[in-house]
Amino acid sequence: MTLQTSVAAAEPFIPGRARAAIARKAFFYVVILAVAAVFFIPFLWTVATSFKTIPDSVNVHLIPHPWTTSAWHAIWTQYDFKTYIKNSLFLAVVVTGCNLVLSGLGGYAFARLKFPGRELLFLLVLGTLMVPDQLRLIPVFVMLTNWHLIGSFSGYILINLVTATNLFFMRQYFLTIPKDFEEAAKLDGAGPIKTFWKIMLPLALPAISALVILQFQGTWNDFFWPLILFGQGNPHLYTVQLGLAELNFTYTTLWPEICAGSVLAILPILVVFLAFQRYFISGVVSAGVKG
Amino acid sequence: MATASQAAPAPRASMLGARLREAGWGYAFVAVPIVVFGLFFVYPFGYAIYISFLHWGILGKQPGSAGTFNYHAVLNDPIFHIALKNIAEYTIGVVPLEMALGLSLALVINQKIRGRNLFRSAFYFPSIASSVAITTIMLYIFNSDGLFNHIIGSRTPWFQSAGTAIWSIVGLNAWTTSGTVMIYYLAGLQAISTDVYEAAALDNTGAWRTFWKITFPLLRPAHFFVLVVFGIGALKLFDQAFIVGGGGGGPNNATQTPVLYIYRDAFTGADFGKAAAAGVILFVIIFVLTFVQRLTVGRQEAA
Repeated sequence: MTLQTSVAAAEPFIPGRARAAIARKAFFYVVILAVAAVFFIPFLWTVATSFKTIPDSVNVHLIPHPWTTSAWHAIWTQYDFKTYIKNSLFLAVVVTGCNLVLSGLGGYAFARLKFPGRELLFLLVLGTLMVPDQLRLIPVFVMLTNWHLIGSFSGYILINLVTATNLFFMRQYFLTIPKDFEEAAKLDGAGPIKTFWKIMLPLALPAISALVILQFQGTWNDFFWPLILFGQGNPHLYTVQLGLAELNFTYTTLWPEICAGSVLAILPILVVFLAFQRYFISGVVSAGVKG
Repeated sequence: MATASQAAPAPRASMLGARLREAGWGYAFVAVPIVVFGLFFVYPFGYAIYISFLHWGILGKQPGSAGTFNYHAVLNDPIFHIALKNIAEYTIGVVPLEMALGLSLALVINQKIRGRNLFRSAFYFPSIASSVAITTIMLYIFNSDGLFNHIIGSRTPWFQSAGTAIWSIVGLNAWTTSGTVMIYYLAGLQAISTDVYEAAALDNTGAWRTFWKITFPLLRPAHFFVLVVFGIGALKLFDQAFIVGGGGGGPNNATQTPVLYIYRDAFTGADFGKAAAAGVILFVIIFVLTFVQRLTVGRQEAA
């Protein structure tokens, strides 16, 4: 889905109105640039502060004086963000991979394969969207405690193996693919696995890209469940979001380090966003309930 | 594959075989998701209600029922009342702001302007950054000696004073989510047929009037969607309140929220029964509000 509008035919040129139109346009650009600046300045300010010294971090000039990378050294080694980044990357990659495989296969089954009880099971999938995290928090915590999965990545991965949103999203996408392709494959004698792998998966590439990007972002940014599962004294399991929260609570005015940590917590997502923004936005619109 | 070779001698049996095989694959493909959803969503739903009727404190699960003890404890807790008051103020403040900001940005981006995609990305960017990082950055900028106070010549610690803390989170979240709201309104704007605008142009209707008489009412599905989704999201405020309050409820519980209350009951108070009861109460509140919203706004939308 693109968000482009069709460009209307060029307006007829009327000399008297031209100057007023230019003035209006200029005003419009000034306003929109100002708004964009408001969106942008906090990030620019944060990056600048991460290169400042502590006394300099409360001054109102953008350019660091003196310029130093000591905050970056400190968070990487002393405050162990290198472990947190590694943990966040590991969880984001594994959870995204599991979601991709399970909601791809599951979405395909719900969209195309016929089996008794399919509609009933699909209702169960939709029903899970009604169960909010704050309600399942206590029982899930108790269950994982009983299974000795608190304070381990396995517990986090297990409860995030697949989400109903992703499964629903993939099913809806498979439903939009014309059946002709599979009919042809069936006539050639291809089974469900082969049809899925050779026909459906390549056709679903836009949906897959959206899912991968949004799930990666979701897991990378997740704060609630890592806090519940690793927050009770497991600093070696901290994700970058937990590490940043901890840094924030412990050293409230260590601004250069805190800013460097914030940049690290955002940067990977910014890179993914800039590379794949088309999928980001189409994914947000079609996934609907995400976020 | 196998189907083709079997098809010749016994067509009916192979049809049945193919259907059985298809069903088998179907079950195989949905098995793991169904187990995950059953185990971590459906079962916990009932389990949470069960726990809420037990004494389950620091010593673990106690024998016998607690009756409605936990519900009484939550509903009579002044801190829970503050949490409810805060979340009501927050939701009433943030949702209209998100809608107004998001719609304004969408209207701007929907123009034929140079660098549209660049502006769209700039406006959308705060939406994808992590809540912890964004909140941290704003704590810095709105700190008593931060950039914002330097500009306006004040020394108010916006997020740390009881009077301004919750409204600072309103501003923060209206800003960060306006990009997402913009995306939904853009989709809504582009679903409006150009015919209606052409008709308005023929009638010489001004831009302002066209917006209020045509665009705004035609965006009703988008208004409804944003209202429901972001309204429910607002009621579940946690990350920002947790960071701002340093893991607690902030000064005088100024940034206490229901989800934060549940978290504190469970992991600071070690009272799982009470936390579960608070979870059930919040679930019921959200459920009823959604239902009322569907009945009122949703009915209008369907009409």
